[in-house]
Amino acid sequence: MHIPDGYIDLPLALLFGALAVVVLSVAAKRVNGEISDARAPLLGVVAASIFAAQMLDWPIPGGTSAHFVGGAFAAILLGPHLGALCVATVVTIQALVFGDGGLVVLGANVFNMAVVEVYVGYALYRLLVPYGEFRAAFVAGWLGITAGALTAALQLGLSSAFQYQLLTTLSIMGVGHLVLGLIEGAITASVYRYLARARPDLRPNAAPEVSA
Amino acid sequence: MARNRPDWLPRALAALLVLTLLAPVFGWAAGQVGYAEPLENAAEATGATEHATAIGSALFPDYGVPGLGGATGTFVSAVVGTALTLLLGAGIGRLLGADTDQRQ
Repeated sequence: MHIPDGYIDLPLALLFGALAVVVLSVAAKRVNGEISDARAPLLGVVAASIFAAQMLDWPIPGGTSAHFVGGAFAAILLGPHLGALCVATVVTIQALVFGDGGLVVLGANVFNMAVVEVYVGYALYRLLVPYGEFRAAFVAGWLGITAGALTAALQLGLSSAFQYQLLTTLSIMGVGHLVLGLIEGAITASVYRYLARARPDLRPNAAPEVSA
Repeated sequence: MARNRPDWLPRALAALLVLTLLAPVFGWAAGQVGYAEPLENAAEATGATEHATAIGSALFPDYGVPGLGGATGTFVSAVVGTALTLLLGAGIGRLLGADTDQRQ
């Protein structure tokens, strides 16, 4: 889902870059001074695990593939604001050091993966958690990545490089990630359930970040 | 000002090491089946592929190391990227937590 330079028209790239900066600034203000010494390294570990997990491309024979993105996972484990900063860190390093995703469109990529996926995923998790944590985390991962993909498809479909074929980009990326997102949801729910059972002290409600 | 290392940190670092070791394996497997994301499919369907450009040069382009073999380069990239992200993420966590320490 990392968009390279040249795919999105400049005004759109700047618009979504500005939106990403605004959201991340608010997120940083909301968590500033609220992170305990014990949770500070957790941000680094979650960011590093998301980076490493994103390098694991799922080899799906003869079809469309993807990799774990981890926005909803970060949001559930760290809280939405810290989760957004966490994924933004990953996406930025991927672009600057590894050339994965463009530089001009870095803000758009951050918006899609670190803002949309994180906050949509977290909202779904909070909405559905009364019906079970596992189910809630699954849906958060599944539909969170789909929402991020649809936002990317919107940016691409409104750009000249994609000949303004919005329906094509929405259908290919939306349906593709709706199916592949099932794996994202399964990983999100499984890993979160494991961590919640093994280390309940790491759950966000054990050491609240801030009110969402 | 307590800077105690969390007891879960060694296991977390071990898990990260396992993920970095898996990176070349998954990279090889994805190459065998012709990895293609929906974004690439959409670009092909609309003829956008040729518009992709690279501005500047990344230190580890495409998660590889110039001059190193595919698997080795992928592993080195995974280790470097994971370590960088770990340090930067933890640094941001410390930075945002500093006010708490000052108030205590």
